[in-house]
Amino acid sequence: MAIELEYDRSLYGVEHKAGPFEITNEIIDRANSSTGETGPAFRSDEGAKEAGYRGRIAPPTLCCILVRQVSLPDVKVKFGRTQMHAGQRVEPKAPVYAGDQLTASSHLKDVYAKTGRSGTMVFVVWETTFSNQDGLVVAEVQESFAKRE
Amino acid sequence: MHSHSVSSDDSRASVEQYVKWIQVLRKRGHTIDGIVLTEHRKFDFDKDYSTLAGQYNVLVLKGSELDTRYGHFLVYGVTQALTQELDFSDTRMDARALMQAARQHDAIALPAHPGRFGIGLTDYIAQGESFHDVEIVERLNGGSRQGENERAEELCQSHNLVGIGGSDAHLTSHIATCMTDFKAEIKVESDLVDALLTKEFQPVWLKDIVNGASQS
Repeated sequence: MAIELEYDRSLYGVEHKAGPFEITNEIIDRANSSTGETGPAFRSDEGAKEAGYRGRIAPPTLCCILVRQVSLPDVKVKFGRTQMHAGQRVEPKAPVYAGDQLTASSHLKDVYAKTGRSGTMVFVVWETTFSNQDGLVVAEVQESFAKRE
Repeated sequence: MHSHSVSSDDSRASVEQYVKWIQVLRKRGHTIDGIVLTEHRKFDFDKDYSTLAGQYNVLVLKGSELDTRYGHFLVYGVTQALTQELDFSDTRMDARALMQAARQHDAIALPAHPGRFGIGLTDYIAQGESFHDVEIVERLNGGSRQGENERAEELCQSHNLVGIGGSDAHLTSHIATCMTDFKAEIKVESDLVDALLTKEFQPVWLKDIVNGASQS
């Protein structure tokens, strides 16, 4: 008998909006500090312009930090007793500049079960699209959470 | 015989990266004719890698790795009819039903990494389960931990099974770490099924095969 995953399927197709997130120099400084980023384009306008950008840019992983500020509903998966963060992946689409105002739109992408050495786990996958003030998509972030028996 | 591209939820390697890495391995003297993509719990009917395959002269075939209640099974020769009969995302499917359905649809299903602790066929047999349709298993798996391939070897010997080798690659540089050396020429998935049915093959470690010869 297949595992009949029980969760809130009404969440499919629903976009959860968040923002705007103002990308300040301070936020970029903190992101650089957290990863040890030293690239000139991430440090100053001058460095960025030398690299061909119109101004200082944020590191591509910044949206991985911002995504944690998006409030997502409980998927109400009835499985397991332990939940953990299962990873992120980001696909940068366009530069994020200091001064940008980003908005996020998240939707439930998938809920699925898989088996491995440690038993059965159920993964909940959210996909978030970040756009700037001009409506340009700057990044897509996929974030997974796992529940295990 | 066993690899995962970004189409699988837990792989970061693209097919292009795999075929490019194979060029590197060939320059080092290794013979690698092709790969089989066995994506987790699905079959990618919509993916066509023929251009890449032609560009890099690497045979790229498609299969599946399915979760069953008796561990993971590799499926070769997947057809639309097979995917209509079985829910490939069902992690509790009966492996015996999978093997039978596969053969009814001219495909073949066999246990992946049977020596894997906690999820390998070896453990289920030890619990009293029997699998009369199993004649081939993945004897060498590139993702195995210490002792797991040895358990697969013991299973082959104790149950008179033959074995294939698969890298179980999820990262580019892991492709082809274990392979299968077939006597038959294989060009398409149905050739692969036929070649498996002949049982004229053997699992090999990449490191043991240089310039077409065994180093061991």
